Amino acid sequence: MSKLSTLQRGQLAAQAAPPGGAARPAAVAGTARRWLTHPAVAAVVALALVLLPFTGQDKFVLSVAVTTFITAIAAASLHLIVRTGHVSLGHAAFMGIGAYVSALATMRLNLPFPLAVCLAFLAPAALALLVGPVVLRLTGKYFVLVTFLFGEIVRTVFVNWTEVTGGSNGIFGVPAPSPYFAEPVPFYYLALGFMLVILALIARLFNSEIGRAIEAIRESEPLARCSGVPVLRLKVTIFVLACGLAGIAGALQGHFVRYIDPTSFATDQSLTLVVINVVGGMFTLVGPILGTLFMVLLPEFLRGYVELQHVFFGVVLILVMAFFSGGIADMGQLLRRGGAKGAK
Amino acid sequence: MFNSAVLTQVAVDGIGLSAIYILIALGFTLLFGIMRVVNFAHGAFAMLGGYALFYLYGDWGLPYLVAAPLAALVVAAAALVLERFVYRFFYQKMFQSMIGLLGLDMAIMYLAVIAWNAEERSVPPGTEALVEVGDLVFPAQKLIIAAIAAVALLAFYLFTHYTRYGRAMRAAAQDVEIAQAQGVNSSAIYQLAFFIAVFMAALAGGFYAQTYALSPFVGEPQLMIAFVVVILGGMGSIPGVALGGLLLGLANSFLGTFYGSAASTFVTFGAVILLLIFRPWGLLGAKEA
Repeated sequence: MSKLSTLQRGQLAAQAAPPGGAARPAAVAGTARRWLTHPAVAAVVALALVLLPFTGQDKFVLSVAVTTFITAIAAASLHLIVRTGHVSLGHAAFMGIGAYVSALATMRLNLPFPLAVCLAFLAPAALALLVGPVVLRLTGKYFVLVTFLFGEIVRTVFVNWTEVTGGSNGIFGVPAPSPYFAEPVPFYYLALGFMLVILALIARLFNSEIGRAIEAIRESEPLARCSGVPVLRLKVTIFVLACGLAGIAGALQGHFVRYIDPTSFATDQSLTLVVINVVGGMFTLVGPILGTLFMVLLPEFLRGYVELQHVFFGVVLILVMAFFSGGIADMGQLLRRGGAKGAK
Repeated sequence: MFNSAVLTQVAVDGIGLSAIYILIALGFTLLFGIMRVVNFAHGAFAMLGGYALFYLYGDWGLPYLVAAPLAALVVAAAALVLERFVYRFFYQKMFQSMIGLLGLDMAIMYLAVIAWNAEERSVPPGTEALVEVGDLVFPAQKLIIAAIAAVALLAFYLFTHYTRYGRAMRAAAQDVEIAQAQGVNSSAIYQLAFFIAVFMAALAGGFYAQTYALSPFVGEPQLMIAFVVVILGGMGSIPGVALGGLLLGLANSFLGTFYGSAASTFVTFGAVILLLIFRPWGLLGAKEA
């Protein structure tokens, strides 16, 4: 009985499924989610983003937009891992590896930007391929703890390998992708392009047979294995892909900000990515996108109250985990539930 | 450099560190063992303990042996409010507790930044006296820390083995439902365990602040210590905490002295990751089904 109810819930970490409360019936998808994932909505949003620079070329708006795109790529790449039922607290480390590799490739080896981005994908992916088969055998809390420590180790490497990474001072003067892309508008389109392609790729992946296998793994690994899903191999593949994409996000950030240092890829950043996924919604790709908007736009309203922002995020995190694990993407669901309760 | 005088000195330092580590990790493992809660806010409570000691001892000048336990008591009593309004929703929900309590950690840390700003402070040591044994010299402060930690651990052991509530607590750790069926009031036991866990974390946080420094961000390294010790010993295992704390304290002291702190971080984290891969239930923990 308890096994059956675990499977019915779209609950992350099946063994932790609570009786009622935070559980989300998998059969009833949130209404908000249904229309948000409609292709027409996605097309309209994409078109609006393409047209945005024509409404006025405010530098500030453009740079906030680029930050949003880069964060969205990173958050969506973490979402890939989250969907398999694992929460990585070291994802920013892979972003950092991508950033350093791309910066060093363009500055030291004088490689062109496209090649550097490829390296920024390959390097973290290769590392993920190395550690993935081992750490992905761990589940739940142990995976969280190992990735947490792993992120810390990578940060220690960034800080201490001074001759390559510049230590805690970081690397100044990371070049723009090309002189043309040094301008805000072309870079806006570059980042937008990367984001759209990567998000489309991830969305396509979730809609394929692989996506259904991923869901199966999250719901129950033993059951997935019995149904012929190569669990470990698929998890490693997804992990490698996710870390590679995070590397691309890191590379873009490096070439956009023109400066990288270890603190931008420390646990705080990993935590932000987790917050984005949890607050936005862990069960749908729309989640990290909404979460990114929330995380990037909210600070604009709370300008000058940086500490208060963190306090607020912390409280939101507690509330989401305690009461509605579906996040913003499931708000419609939540409102309906509240309405039904009020009607009684 | 490896002569016996230096080695003894390093070993004594290591035991002083171990005492702090064990105190921090004991509460962490207690919360995990009994409530199945991964307390990511543990470091935050230790940090608050540091501030409590800063005010009670550094500012108000209470006698040290009164100020240290009192500071921990104040933090633990205040934390009971959080038990009621936050922790209660996360009992027996391992996954939700991890993320939710990360949020609590963040909230407490930045509230501390707002309250006391981010600058580093120092808490004066309990005594400046030096103890000489033969040709070895160590600060008496280290011995006091180790002694208080030993007393706390002994009290905890006696409590859990020889008192009614302590045994109820152990029963709840083994199986909550069966314990309830035997008449154990689980929510009272949870409260008690939470109080003890925060008390020890806050006590350790005070010592940590005296040994290193105090700022709103000192919670994070202490949380990391709790992780490492608990993983080494095995999650939920109390003898495991003692073993893990001693190992980590001595290792940090030796590696830190001879090879620098970065090497120490690498070796300990590397060892922990290897251990997690081959023996995730830790050195003394019980294997989960």
